[in-house]
Amino acid sequence: MTVFKTFLKVLNKCKVPIIIYTVMLVFFSAFNMQTSEKNISFADSKPNILIVNKEANKDKITKNFINYLSKNSNEVNVSMNEEKIDDALFYRDVSYVIYVPKNFGKDVLHGKNPEIKIKSTKDYGASLANMMVERYLKVANVYSDVTDNEDELVTLIDDTLSKKVKVNLTTKLDTKLIEKAAFYHNFLNYCILAGTIYVICLVLSSFKEENIKKRTIVSSMSHKNYNRILLLSNALFAFILWIFYCILAFILMDKIMFSTHGLIFIINSFIFTICALTLAFLIANLVSNKNAVNGIVNVVALGSSFLCGAFVPTSMLPDFVLKIAHILPSYWFIKTNEMLKEMEVFTFDTLKPILTNMFIVICFSIIFIIITNVFSSKKRHNK
Amino acid sequence: MFIHNFKYAFKTLFSNKMLIFWTFAFPIILGTFFSMAFSNIENSEKMKPVDIAIVNNHDFEFGLYKEPFKMLSDKNSDEKIFNIKYVDNEAKAKKLLEKNDVSGYLLLKDNTPKIVVNKNGFDETIFKYAVEEIGSYIKMTKTIGDKKISERLNETGRVNTIYQYVYLGVTKRIADYKANIKDVSRSNLSYTMIEFYTLIAMACLYGGILGMVSINNVLPNMSSNGKRVSVSPTSKLKLILSSTFASYAVQLIGLLLLFLYTIFVLKVDYGNNLPLIILLSLAGSLAGLSLGVFVSCVFKTSENNKTGFIIAFTMLGCFLSGMMGITMKYIIDKNVPIINKINPVSMITDGFYSLYYYDTTDRFFFNLVSLLIFSGLLISISIISLRRQKYDSI
Repeated sequence: MTVFKTFLKVLNKCKVPIIIYTVMLVFFSAFNMQTSEKNISFADSKPNILIVNKEANKDKITKNFINYLSKNSNEVNVSMNEEKIDDALFYRDVSYVIYVPKNFGKDVLHGKNPEIKIKSTKDYGASLANMMVERYLKVANVYSDVTDNEDELVTLIDDTLSKKVKVNLTTKLDTKLIEKAAFYHNFLNYCILAGTIYVICLVLSSFKEENIKKRTIVSSMSHKNYNRILLLSNALFAFILWIFYCILAFILMDKIMFSTHGLIFIINSFIFTICALTLAFLIANLVSNKNAVNGIVNVVALGSSFLCGAFVPTSMLPDFVLKIAHILPSYWFIKTNEMLKEMEVFTFDTLKPILTNMFIVICFSIIFIIITNVFSSKKRHNK
Repeated sequence: MFIHNFKYAFKTLFSNKMLIFWTFAFPIILGTFFSMAFSNIENSEKMKPVDIAIVNNHDFEFGLYKEPFKMLSDKNSDEKIFNIKYVDNEAKAKKLLEKNDVSGYLLLKDNTPKIVVNKNGFDETIFKYAVEEIGSYIKMTKTIGDKKISERLNETGRVNTIYQYVYLGVTKRIADYKANIKDVSRSNLSYTMIEFYTLIAMACLYGGILGMVSINNVLPNMSSNGKRVSVSPTSKLKLILSSTFASYAVQLIGLLLLFLYTIFVLKVDYGNNLPLIILLSLAGSLAGLSLGVFVSCVFKTSENNKTGFIIAFTMLGCFLSGMMGITMKYIIDKNVPIINKINPVSMITDGFYSLYYYDTTDRFFFNLVSLLIFSGLLISISIISLRRQKYDSI
């Protein structure tokens, strides 16, 4: 009990970082959780655009053009100041800015090809917006060959552009909700790693302090018993941390956590917590300097989170980084979360890759335990 | 005396391993992580050819959709937006979709297109959009062709017009049209640069810890070294100034290393105006230094708490300037601009941003002056609190 009480005392000192990690997790998950209506039918992805009509053209064609663009995209509210527009473009609040030129309607009606100035981020949204603008201009320009009447031209354009094609969506999954759950669990990589390594390293280094060590050695408690309690306390801490994050997941994600997806997310995070625990033991054995703990936590937890896709989705990471990431357990943990995003049917065949990932994480844990044992026995021999 | 104390303060700072790790190594390590994680983001957001499948049935083979799709998947064309897999029947297309080999497939039945996709997304929208576009051109050809034929019929009264010729004419007119779109966006649009600017800003303010430690070393209530120094017959102004300059020098060495690493190894673009970049770095470090001096003089608490405060203040500033999510800076700038106007991290970040993105320097100088005001204010408060300090007992 004395050992456990001391453990709790040290743990109490570490509460601030744990709270900070959790706040970050909740904040980023919540940030990523806006708009969660279920999409059963196909919905167009709309680019964020800004239409600048400085000349305040009021003719029917301009109105029709603006109307067409705003119907097929999200118009972002930015003040019409060039610096503000440039800022919005840089920070990707807007993907595409269209400047409607002077006499746009008249020029289109008379078959001229007016120059349209645009600003673009050249990403997906911008390409889509560009397709839209080009399509409108093409339709309007070609129709202007056969009519000089503004109303007729607008009707012809509307008639042509309103033609929609039927799209069937095969998935029955609520992909958005699963994506959010996957994001939460990917981010958990950082919280679990940082939390367990920080606490366990700090606790073990406190127990390893020269004076305390001497006192424990001369005490009547057997060395085996002492080690066992210490080990169990640390494991208990990791377990409680995992339960806490699971409860948080249920609160934040609700429905999805009660499905098979949720169950696998939870099993996956449990296996990873064990791995983090063994890694923490290894690091605690290698490092005895209390001051160095903070630096190591940051390098290990931030490093594997950045490299394995906890913060930036794996699809956006360069190939060489992903190759390096293979040697880290976080990669396999996150890979499972990512696979779950697209999984609809759960059979042994579909689950095979996920089970392989989990097996690899367990292998990592075993390797960490072996290295820890080898290292600590060597250390004892040297003494 | 000034040089003597400067030398030893300098040496003391360099021998503190933890301090050097946080101010020198940590920003470099973090920068390396940033570079590895963010180097591909902007490329992955650019449009790549979408993988689709088309059921090559009778309707498609002899219909009006074949040619446009051939053009849109032509390897040598600039307009290539699709990689197409042609399959014989719908079952095969379905299989490809199930395996996620394609984003969707197209099936023509009675000349009416039907698209099947797995999920909502940009790729799927582009696919749908292209099919609709082809559909609208077909409709346009028909409308204009019909109109021209009926006009000719009215004019000449003859019905033996060559229909194909008319329709081909319209198709060619549609294909030949090129919209006159001129891109006037600024060239430097790489938004991940903001991450590295916040990193530099973080390094500048972390430098404050150096200032704080070196001032603590001469404060009698903070260290036994400080007690000894305080009872010595040396001018306190000289002591404080030399310690401050020593930490400023160490800070600048760290910043120089970080700059060299980010420029030559990580290929970060700070714009082309070197003198202004140096000026901003000097001012940024000064802001960090003044923060350190301020915390060390005004707060009467342990060194650990002071360090904690500087780190917390810096990290909060970094968060608001976009280190943990680039859009955060924009959200704050757009909605509560006052916060980033008084946030030194944002002043430094925005200064670099304006050098990188804008041609004009108004915004840069606004940030520079703000930093100088921030530093001046903190240093003045520190001087006031340090003046005529006496202790009855410690």
